[in-house]
Amino acid sequence: MSESVISSIDFEVTSRAGDARAGSLSIRDTVIETPNLFPVLNFYGGGTINSNYGGGIHRTIKEFLIGHERINGGDYSKFFDGVMTSVSSLTDYNITRERYDDYVSQPIKERDVFSPFSGILFIDSGGFKFLSSDELDGSNFQIEIDQAKVYEIQQKMGADIIVNLDRPISPEDTHKQRIKKAQQTGQNIKEFLELSSDFRGARYLTLHGYNYSMMDEFLTEITRYTSAETLRSAFDGIALGSLVPKKDDRNALIDAVIDCRAVLKDWGFEELPLHVLGISSRAIPLLVALGVDTFDSSTYLQTAINGGYCTSLMETVDISEADPEQCNCPVCSSEYLKEWMRGNAPYQKDMLGAVAMHNLIIQKRSIFEIRDRVRRGETEPLIEYIESTVAQDKPTREHAHRVVNHSLGGYF
Amino acid sequence: MRKNPKVNEVNEFLEIASDFEDPLEVIRESLSNAYDANASNVEIEIRSREMGSDIIIDDDGDGMNQRDLESFFDLGNSRKTDSIGYKGHGTKIFYKSDRIVVNTASDEANLRAEMDKPWEKLNQRELPQYEVTETPVRKGNTGTRIRIRNFRSGQGFDPESLTYNKIEHYLKWKTIAGSTAYLFDDEDREMNITVKLGDEIDDSRQKLETTTRFKFPDEQLDPDMSSEFPAERMCKHYKPTEVEVEYEGGTTTLQIVGMVGGKAARNELPTYGKHSAQFGVWLAKDHIKVERLNEAISHDNEFLHFFFVVNCQDIELSANRESIRNKSSPVYQRLTEEAEYYLSKVAQDPWFKEYLETRRDAEIKRRARNRRSSLKDRRERIESGQALEPTNRTEVLLTLERANSKSDASTITVEDFEPNADVHAIVRQGGKLRNAAVHHSLTDHFEDDLTFEEVDLIICWEYGDPTTLREYERTGYLGGEIEFQLESDGLVYEDDGQSFIEILCLNQESDKVTQQAVISD
Repeated sequence: MSESVISSIDFEVTSRAGDARAGSLSIRDTVIETPNLFPVLNFYGGGTINSNYGGGIHRTIKEFLIGHERINGGDYSKFFDGVMTSVSSLTDYNITRERYDDYVSQPIKERDVFSPFSGILFIDSGGFKFLSSDELDGSNFQIEIDQAKVYEIQQKMGADIIVNLDRPISPEDTHKQRIKKAQQTGQNIKEFLELSSDFRGARYLTLHGYNYSMMDEFLTEITRYTSAETLRSAFDGIALGSLVPKKDDRNALIDAVIDCRAVLKDWGFEELPLHVLGISSRAIPLLVALGVDTFDSSTYLQTAINGGYCTSLMETVDISEADPEQCNCPVCSSEYLKEWMRGNAPYQKDMLGAVAMHNLIIQKRSIFEIRDRVRRGETEPLIEYIESTVAQDKPTREHAHRVVNHSLGGYF
Repeated sequence: MRKNPKVNEVNEFLEIASDFEDPLEVIRESLSNAYDANASNVEIEIRSREMGSDIIIDDDGDGMNQRDLESFFDLGNSRKTDSIGYKGHGTKIFYKSDRIVVNTASDEANLRAEMDKPWEKLNQRELPQYEVTETPVRKGNTGTRIRIRNFRSGQGFDPESLTYNKIEHYLKWKTIAGSTAYLFDDEDREMNITVKLGDEIDDSRQKLETTTRFKFPDEQLDPDMSSEFPAERMCKHYKPTEVEVEYEGGTTTLQIVGMVGGKAARNELPTYGKHSAQFGVWLAKDHIKVERLNEAISHDNEFLHFFFVVNCQDIELSANRESIRNKSSPVYQRLTEEAEYYLSKVAQDPWFKEYLETRRDAEIKRRARNRRSSLKDRRERIESGQALEPTNRTEVLLTLERANSKSDASTITVEDFEPNADVHAIVRQGGKLRNAAVHHSLTDHFEDDLTFEEVDLIICWEYGDPTTLREYERTGYLGGEIEFQLESDGLVYEDDGQSFIEILCLNQESDKVTQQAVISD
């Protein structure tokens, strides 16, 4: 990593509450506060510039991102201070080669249409999708995917944060399969570091495993290809992956994050920002308490697509029963968008898009509040938050109490 | 026409007095009254009499004036508001006697009240009366002495059932003597309690002395690793906690205190009955335990390790204080939710997890030690030259394989073994595959209700009980006839057709007796 690269990235922890930490992550000229949530968004959804590159509900969300007149304008930028997208989502809409070439021809933030977007752009490698097929599959073309190709695309799309191409594990994997995946990831990491040595954004190392020993073994395997010292000096953050299959097993999720923190400490990575891939929503307060700095999630979209309107981080009602009058978010405060949410929208995607934007605001506001509480530097405000949210829900109560006892000084 | 509903007074008195089933409740009521009268000392004496028990309760409290005395005898006419006995039911337990005499001295009056044959009269549907006489007041000498003659204690106060030990545990579990109030209230008064039993009941000691404070066993957070049961004396106190709870219609306060601990720690607590009936979460009023709420502890955590008292002054009790009446009220609903919430925190306390883990680890180690000792026996048996005696199918086949290696005769090798299938093994004999049922005893085949379909051979260690086999010959098996031809190493089964099943008994030497017994039949 060159001197200039080091100076362009900075992660500073400004306050701690138990294991939770709050701080700021600066990449080049962009600074975001942590803990933070990156909404998952497809910038390219089959369309052209005329439709903001399309994508159904994603298109509507992009209109919020840029304050487009279709959604009656407005400034939603603070809810998009960080956005997650993936290399593998490029061909989600069965595009032609020509369209693909267009999509990767210019960095996202340099396109006029996306110019109002100034947040941090995190581009995942999409390793999970490439497990089943090592190619990007369009309507009339295939592109073979390897580490070099992934990095090329991440770069062309103008990423601020990138991860190496990884081979996520699954709970069904045998030990042999896991080792093989770790070795493949290890090879990719070596290549990734060589290829991206002059990358001016932040590079995150993917980490896989469900417990301390698995993660420790993963790191041991990848250090066959790249020394631990190089890993420590080259990477700017850690991305903990493979947890999506465990997302409904809160105890497993908590175990994994607790153990991840322990492994990172023992391997000398503890000062790096920790991102958890693909998990958030109701787990947000617990993940923050455990010491996670950033996470990404598409639940705001998925919830809307499934007809859900979030009334809080913990509660969702059916859209038909939603009462936007009870919410003061910019979407629910707009008569124009309220009409959309009531179903009087040009398209279904617009109705759902408005609801998804509302859901995202609910999640982002929760993270703002949690962050404020961590910033007070005491555990009590965060405990109070967890008590009034996650712990009120019977199925998640024991997990809330476990995390308070483990990471926030405990009750007794 | 407007009419007033009527009350049958005699029946009411009878009903309320009868509600008190356990004669020990007389002690509870006496202690509550003495405490409410601000007594510092109370002494209860019980003597066994032919018809019941004589009881004397003596306290140095504020004494009663005329109005208090009326409340003592009246039903539902208590003058107390924020005290333990506010309903005016408790003292009616004394009516189950032949005579009640109350001598009481307050700053206002020095009174004596006598009631004759209350129980007899009530049962004759007559309302008993009492006579009050007043004598001059002597200042500074307040207190109350109640004498009950022939209290109908049933067998409850018999020497066989009443002991100092039992009373002590009852006091701590069911009365003000087991109060946890002092943990919450710095101003809490302590009352000394003395109970004397006549020598005819229990002569093991002179008297029992205690106070109105429930004491938890000393805390011991670390396991005793020198013990075979390292977690047994572990004990953690959960400090007194007050929780304000809002409910539809008001707010209330829960006062929660308790401990988690192993069996040895719990044994240091008084117990009134079995551990399983005593530990867990108790709902209390006036800091006196009333009913358990073990559903407040999730199923993963055995309630036995917990002992918590959740006190709430807004629960309402039945006349005999044995149960909660307002369970369908919003306040009860909320208090149970909050209790559950609090205990969920305890269940997630890392100390509790370590305690459970210590127990589990110790149990595994103890099991391993037992295994080691049984392993020692097994090794000694081998060293002494005793042969393997199979106890299950796998061992039977192991014995078969051994026999193969020793024998020059044609061998049977096991090619496939599925112990849970109907046909347990496929064996190779003389180059041919044969289906085999494998049993410890031949009789097991019948006890397992297995057919002979597809079975060429039964491999067993022994024949089993010859009378069992003869019974099958006599009564048939699964609708067919059976004949054991053990001298020819087989059996004949006849249902739709006739089939001969070969039997290979591996322990033929020792089973000759069975063979003879079956053949000779």
